[in-house]
Parts: sequence; C-alpha cells; structure tokens
Amino acid sequence: MPTEALPLLKKRRKPLNSFILLVALIVLVYYTLVGIWPFLYNIWLTFRKTDLLTEDKWIGLSNYSYMFTDPMFWNSLLHNAYYLGVMVLVGIVTSLIFAALIYRTKGIARKIYTAMFFAPVVTSMVAVSLVWMLLYFPKIGMFAQIISALFGVSRDKLVFLQGTGSALLCIIIMDIWRDTGIRTVIFLSGMDEIPDSLYETARIDGATQLRQFFKITIPLLTPQLVFIAAVYSINAIRVYVPIYMMTGSPPGGPANSTRVLTLHMYLSAFYGQRFGYGATISMVMFVILFGLVILEIRAFQQKWEY
Amino acid sequence: MANTQRWNRYRARRFTSRFFLHLVLIVLSLIMVFPLIWMVFSSFKPSLEVISTEFHLFPKTWTVRNYTKVFDELKMGRGYLNSLIVAVSVTFFVLLSATAAGYLFSKLKFKGREALFFAVLGSVMVPPQIVLIPLYLLISKFHWINSYQGLIFPFVMNAFGIFLMRQSMYGIPNDLLEAARMDGASDFRIYFSVILPLVRSSIAVLGILIFLWTWDEFLWPLVTVSDNEMKTLPLLLAHFTQAEQKFPGESLAGATLVIGPVLVVYAFFQRHFVRGLSMTGLKA
Repeated sequence: MPTEALPLLKKRRKPLNSFILLVALIVLVYYTLVGIWPFLYNIWLTFRKTDLLTEDKWIGLSNYSYMFTDPMFWNSLLHNAYYLGVMVLVGIVTSLIFAALIYRTKGIARKIYTAMFFAPVVTSMVAVSLVWMLLYFPKIGMFAQIISALFGVSRDKLVFLQGTGSALLCIIIMDIWRDTGIRTVIFLSGMDEIPDSLYETARIDGATQLRQFFKITIPLLTPQLVFIAAVYSINAIRVYVPIYMMTGSPPGGPANSTRVLTLHMYLSAFYGQRFGYGATISMVMFVILFGLVILEIRAFQQKWEY
Repeated sequence: MANTQRWNRYRARRFTSRFFLHLVLIVLSLIMVFPLIWMVFSSFKPSLEVISTEFHLFPKTWTVRNYTKVFDELKMGRGYLNSLIVAVSVTFFVLLSATAAGYLFSKLKFKGREALFFAVLGSVMVPPQIVLIPLYLLISKFHWINSYQGLIFPFVMNAFGIFLMRQSMYGIPNDLLEAARMDGASDFRIYFSVILPLVRSSIAVLGILIFLWTWDEFLWPLVTVSDNEMKTLPLLLAHFTQAEQKFPGESLAGATLVIGPVLVVYAFFQRHFVRGLSMTGLKA
C-alpha cells in the first residue's frame, strides 16, 4: 500500500509541469536576450570609444565627462524639459476643458464628439507629421493663411518650423493635438465615476458651476491627473518621431533648435560613429525615465483599484 | 400662470445654453479632424495646388496622379506588404506570449515566479530606444539586418501585454481551473480552452494596441533597414521629408494611404480602440 501511495504524493508535491517549464524558459531566455543583456552591454559601452568596426578601446569615464561639457547635450536636455512642460500643462488644461464640455452631452451626440476627438489618436505619427509639416508651410501654407486672416499678422513673419524660436513649439502643438482624444476620454471616464449626489449637495449649498468644477471635479480626478502627467512626461522624454519627420535633413534643425535627447543619441551613434557616447546619452535618458515609470506604475495601480 | 412663465423662461435659458454648448463642441470637433480632412482632399490635388495662396478645401482639378506616383516610384505596395507582415507577426506573437505568460504569472505557482515577473516588469523601465545600440549589435550578430526577423524579433514579447493579461486573468475563478484539472486537462489544454476564451476582450484591446504601435514604429526600422525592398511604410514616408525637393501632393497621398485603413477599422471597432489606447496613453 505505501509503495502505491508514494508516487501519488510525489506527483502532488511537484507541480512543475511542461507548460510552466516551457513558458517560463521562453520568457527568461527572451528577456535575458533583449532586456537584461542589452542593458548591461549598454552600461559597458559607456566606458568605451567604439565605431563598432575598427576602433574599440576602454576610455574610463571620458564619455561622461565629455557629456557634461557638451553644450549640445544640455541643449537637448533643455528641449526635452520644455517639451515636457508645455506638453503636460497645455495638454492637461485643454483636455480637461474638452472633457468638461463633452460631459454635459448625452447619447448619440456624446458618442460622435468622442469619436471625432479620438480620431487623430489612431493615426500614424509619421504620417500626421508629414501632413502638419505641409500645414505649417511658411508664409503661404494653410496655417499661415488662417492665422494672418484671423489676427492680422504679416504672413512673412509666420515661418513656423523654419524659425529657431517657433519650431519646437509648433511640433509640440501637433503632438498635443494628436493625443487630445486619449486624455479627454480618460478625464471623461473619471468624471462619470463621480457620484451625482456630490454635485447635488453642492448645488443646494449654492455653489456655482465653476466652484463645483474646482472643488469637486478636479480633486476627484487626481488619479487621472497623476497618470496623465506621468505618461506624457515619459512620452516627452522619449520623443523623436515628429521631430525627425518635421525638421528635414539633418533632423533637429533649424540650427539644432529642436534637437532632443533621443535624436542626440541617434545622431552621435549612427551618424557620428560614436557608439560609446550614444550609449552614455541613453543611460541619462534611462535614469530620467526610471523615476517617471515608477510614478506611472503607481498611478496605474491606483487606477486599477478604482 | 406665473409658474408656466417661469418654466418657459427656464426652458429657453436651458435651450440657449445647450445650443452654445453644442456649437462650441461642433467647432472644436471640426478643428480636431480638420488636418485629416485637409489631408484626404489635398491628396487629390496637383502638387502646385496643395500649397497655394488661395484657400480652397476641395481640389479644383481632381487627380489620382499622386497615388499612382507613390505606388510606381516609391514602391508603396511593397511598403504595405512589409508593414503588414511585420505588424501581423508581431501582434500574433505578442498575443500568444502575453496570454501564456499572463496565465503563468496569475494562476500557476512555481519557484522563482515573483523574481521572473520582476525581471519582466524591469524591462518596462528599459524601452527599446535606450538599448538601441546593443540591440542593433545583437541583430547584426544574427545577420538579421534588412530582414523581417530583425524587424520582428525585438517586439515579440511585450511586458505591458504580460502585465495586462495577468491583471485580467486574476478575475477568473480558481474553481473553474481546478474543475478542469480534475477532468484531467493539462495546462496547455486549460490555457487554450478555458483561459483564452475568457479574456477575449482583453485580447482584442491588446491586439489593436500592438498592431498600431508596430504599424507606426519608426526608430528601429530606421537603424536596421537600409534596403529599399525591406522598408516599412513609415520609412518610405520619411523619404519625403529628407528629400531636398518637396513633393506635397505625393506626401499627402502617402500619408492618406498609411492612415486611411486604420481610420476605417477604427470606425468599426471604435469602442476597443478607445478602451485600449486610453488605458496606456503610451506611444510605441
């Protein structure tokens, strides 16, 4: 009898089956190959000077010390910070207003508005960058015509992407336009979760609509606000597609006024053949993103608990 | 009497405020879709008419020359094929791996599970563009430069996808899996016939997200593909901005061809698009 019971017991205590083994192994191997190894190799690269072909030597911390004195690096970092600030602030304020407006509509009208606001979100960034580049055509483009007609500005001043002062802002505006739908929908679903009774009570107390918005709606949207701020900060640090597409050749112009970290990394490595330095720049981006991702995961979990 | 008057006044005020609300929203929605509408109509204009000093939305002379040109000279057809092959394969592999790993991390117990999951989550911290250079080295070691394998491989598993699937599988009652196990079903069997059908809607959402991200992926193809035959649609579009001479009409035809199909699908599966994209807000 005991000899018969033993294999059964053994089987129960050994839950490792072929499914677990197979999936866990694939996950482990894959993430070692495209996650862990590249990350460690990237750190190693930051201590080297290499063009990946002929030259490859240890240079210690030279890449780092060079980076801190590289004006182009600080320039790029500043552009990312500017991108982040405008993107998050303007993006949140506009989407909040749009969501508050759509919140007041019902039924089919609400569905149509949401669908129209959301349409740009599903478009390809590369393609809409191309479209906006033509809309921004200096002096005689569509936007130049509209703005000069509405505000009486001389068309010769409207150079958009070709002005060192205006190019980055023009790109950010396009980026804000494209994702307005996402943020609006997130705020809208947050507003739908706020119980009507809260507004009811406030109305009885004589609070105006504006007061209700600032005292009830905004505070109760905190999880959504944190989530959006975190996500769009990450996007602002990683941005490159619209800049690459809208600033011609070489990207980052005019006069490097739109060069951001990813572009600086890409151009240093794949144009300048300085892969060690490129890796160093990407490590800086990693450190910034690390902090932001932790913030985002926290916000994400909060949203799930909601 | 006084009451009806007040009621009427209330109704009139309510009506005007509704009217202005909808007026503002209609104007705003039109502004939102204006660039897309302009793109579609202008893609049928001759290039000289796209950028002209007089405003007109509709083409004066309709032409499909822009479209024939992007197909003939830019090999847009080949670009479609490449983009489709890459996006469909990536989506398939991500769905397969994310559901399997999601099941693994949510319902199956084994030693080292938390550590492995932590490693997967860690890779969220390292987006592909941070490790662009080592990944490029890896793919060139495999001799996968200018190949579909090279374009697909770095994306076949997605940490966000695994996280999402794990999250949506937590809700599945354990009794159900226990019952299936009693009937002698293996984990493979349970995965295919119990788990997968139960997370259908999450699969749809994740599938749309991954397809869109891959369809729009730019930096990775940019560094791994130089052969014109292997270029995906975004890379072909980039030609227009890098060229010295600008081709407004052709650019817009190309952009319409990349955006158009997605917008059509969006019109049908709007709910899934909205749910998926607003869940992450993240770009590829």
